[in-house]
Amino acid sequence: MNFRTTEENIFKILMFISLIAVMGSLIGIMAVVLIKGGAALSIGMVTTPPESGYYLGGEGGILNAIVGSVYLASGATVLAFFISIAIAIYLQREFTSSKAAGIIRTSLDMLWGIPSIVYGVFCFIVMMYLGIGTCLLAGIIALTMIEIPIMTRGMDEAIKMVPPELKESTYVLGSNRIETAIKVVLRQGLPGITSAVLLAFGRGIGDAASILFTAGFSDHIPASLFDSAAALPTMIFFLSALPSPEVRDRAYAAAFILLSIVLLISLASRLLTNKFSRYIIK
Amino acid sequence: MLSEQLREDIFSWEGIMTIGVITAFMIIIIGNSGCIDSESTDKESKTIKVSGAYALYPMMVVWADEYQKIHPNVKIEVSGGGAGKGMADALGGVVDMGMVSRDIYPEEIDKGAFYVSVAKDAVVVTINSENPVLDELNKRGVTREELVKIFITREIKTWGELVGKPEIKDEIKVYTRADACGAAQTWAEYLGDYTQEDLTYGADTGIMYDPDLAGAVARDKYAIGYNNINFAYDIKKESFVEGIRVVPIDLNENGKLDEDERVYGTRREILQAIENGIYPSPPARDLHLATRGGFKGETKEFVRWILTDGQEYIPENGYIQLPSEKIKAESNVLESGERT
Amino acid sequence: MKILRAFISMDSRRKKVVITTKLMLAASALVCALLFVIILILFSGSLPLLKQESIINILFSSFWNPGKGGFGLYPIIIGTVYVTGIAMLFSVPVSILSSIYIAEYAEGRVRNIIKSFVDVLAGVPSVVYGMCAIIVLVPLVRDYMAPFLGATSTGFCILTAGMILAIMVFPIIISICVDVFRAVPNELREVSYAIGATKWETIKHVVFRAAFPGVSSAVLLGFGRAFGETMAVCMVVGNIPRLSSSVFEPGTTLAAFIATNFGEMMSVPFYYSAMMLMALILILVVLIFNIIAKIIIRKSYGGGGR
Repeated sequence: MNFRTTEENIFKILMFISLIAVMGSLIGIMAVVLIKGGAALSIGMVTTPPESGYYLGGEGGILNAIVGSVYLASGATVLAFFISIAIAIYLQREFTSSKAAGIIRTSLDMLWGIPSIVYGVFCFIVMMYLGIGTCLLAGIIALTMIEIPIMTRGMDEAIKMVPPELKESTYVLGSNRIETAIKVVLRQGLPGITSAVLLAFGRGIGDAASILFTAGFSDHIPASLFDSAAALPTMIFFLSALPSPEVRDRAYAAAFILLSIVLLISLASRLLTNKFSRYIIK
Repeated sequence: MLSEQLREDIFSWEGIMTIGVITAFMIIIIGNSGCIDSESTDKESKTIKVSGAYALYPMMVVWADEYQKIHPNVKIEVSGGGAGKGMADALGGVVDMGMVSRDIYPEEIDKGAFYVSVAKDAVVVTINSENPVLDELNKRGVTREELVKIFITREIKTWGELVGKPEIKDEIKVYTRADACGAAQTWAEYLGDYTQEDLTYGADTGIMYDPDLAGAVARDKYAIGYNNINFAYDIKKESFVEGIRVVPIDLNENGKLDEDERVYGTRREILQAIENGIYPSPPARDLHLATRGGFKGETKEFVRWILTDGQEYIPENGYIQLPSEKIKAESNVLESGERT
Repeated sequence: MKILRAFISMDSRRKKVVITTKLMLAASALVCALLFVIILILFSGSLPLLKQESIINILFSSFWNPGKGGFGLYPIIIGTVYVTGIAMLFSVPVSILSSIYIAEYAEGRVRNIIKSFVDVLAGVPSVVYGMCAIIVLVPLVRDYMAPFLGATSTGFCILTAGMILAIMVFPIIISICVDVFRAVPNELREVSYAIGATKWETIKHVVFRAAFPGVSSAVLLGFGRAFGETMAVCMVVGNIPRLSSSVFEPGTTLAAFIATNFGEMMSVPFYYSAMMLMALILILVVLIFNIIAKIIIRKSYGGGGR
């Protein structure tokens, strides 16, 4: 008996330590970002773009990156939404054989695992071939490719959970597959779909590797789809190791904003899921 | 939130189609407010994209500002990335001009690279301001041979070894550039018949981008690295960037720093030294703007301005003007589109 | 033509179904094709180099100096293996132990809190991880860990990259493992208790064994993620393509190398191809790990669902 409980106790301690490691890492990261970023954050920081020469001068803020990120992530999320919802609906049994669905799901799983830098490289090659320079559009397309697998997977899970009896009853009443899909399935799957979209948006706004070569960087707020665009993650990448503290502050502020967005998305996902559950037929 | 009826309508077949069409419409409208090829003849607003070497970056920013004041319909986007990126972007057509802080290679010319030289600056050696042997180094300088033994062959391993004080056992931590850049290439050329890869092979850490390299050296007490002048000396204060000191080079190799070698206190001093030829070239070098084929349209206008009116901004911003005969020759090259 | 006539004569509702279905099929086909297109383009990009040098030379030579014709990828590949290896070494035990606790021992409220933590960890962008690594880990390794073990380091080394990567991989392994443990049917546990086993023995011999395939695939997926992680690694790994003899030395990984050197593509012949080849290796390795993970799941859980 003693030996068995001892073993259990040893592992309990190990588990405890592991848990501390995991939670501690998160708390550490949040602490660093909140402390450094909080100190750097100010109204000016978020409302003005940087003075020319963002590596050198300390004046100005990160409005260029904030707006750039919003454009990039929103554009990508909207584009990805239409493609993902189409695929997710299509994956239902009504539309495809399970073999075809299997192929599609496998492809999506493979795409989900591809490192984002590969998407960036791929997009850059296409850009060069088309003669387009670094611009907002290229960044949006690269981000869309990254968001699609994430969003589709979440939506697929949500739609799979819709009880078949529900759909059957609509078919009996004379609805066709599309009408059912849009009016019934989407509503039923709304909580899951919303979290999938939010999750993909969160990923899109935080990803740097794909937009490094494609969206470029700029001091200005992007005014057209063909302007280079700064983004919060690329700003952090370029500026967090610089010698001048005022310039580093911009990176910290950007990190603060990004972390806040991630926390907000986590929260919103939970809240919206609960709220939308009202529309579900249980 | 939304009323039942409204939600129903949005999610109906018609609703989704409408949303899709509106979005596509918006995208097209926003897209048409720019132009695919930034060299198009749209007179409404022109964008010139510049990327590349950090060496030219501060100067280009000033030039862009001044030029945009005179030509408010032109927008100039300047980004960094290193000379390698500048050349690659220029050759790939991704930007209108690449800033290059090293010699252009023949392979690049073969691929269509065309360049003009616009200014001059230099690479300097940097160490941390709390380096244990800073005073000794300021008195005796460092010779080229010693620099080779520090950066390339790593024969000199500790700071004590360097200045002849074996009791100081702190190891020298060598930093270099991770991205393909002109500073590394120029520095390697000064040290001997070396390339950036040789520098990388001997280093302890590769940092991306020039200002970040200065930042890393500023945070490691035993670090040694190299920077473009304008990232080692603070733009505004003209003295060293926080946490950095520039190491004097013992040019005549007599083991101590003579009066005329003592030129590293302020940026103005060292610029003077470069202009007078006291500080050698390399590590001082010409800075170029490169493009594929030839400069056209608004970009050509901009370069023309740089070679004429733009030259006046050079000295006060930490660079050296090329001699006027050279500038004239470069102007001819720009206009003719050929370099003989 | 017959199809077109049939289409026009449909009523509007039916038309909508046909159009939408075709659009959805197009979207799905596009996405499936994307995978192949990416691989194809990367492969055709690497062809020049592959024709020039033998693949053995490229993969196993340590001479990396493209200006002088050296394209040995060995140091970069080994660097990737080192960094990923260290990350998994730290991450797998910690993640599995944490998952066991979350799934088996934690009560409702506590479990929710911990799960929230893990979810947030999963969402933190990799540049933020990199930034924190520069601020916290680099000085830690340079001023404390390396001297403690008698080595000197700049802090930008394989160990630092491995450590931050381990933290990034936690959420992936934990979230999958927790689901897998929870999915083990309670009857198995009950039977084990009925024979007189303690909770821990039950976990060790019954639950874990039952969940093993799921756990393995979680680990494989985590490995794939670590293998391809770019930003955080390239900010702290040192970026020197050299065979390192210790974890305190700098190195580089395939992904970090592509990110740092993507610029110098044009001047040196075959550099572009070398980059394409590196990206190709990256994507193929990650794909292989993902496929193995899927096969394990399919074999053990009978292929029902995902």
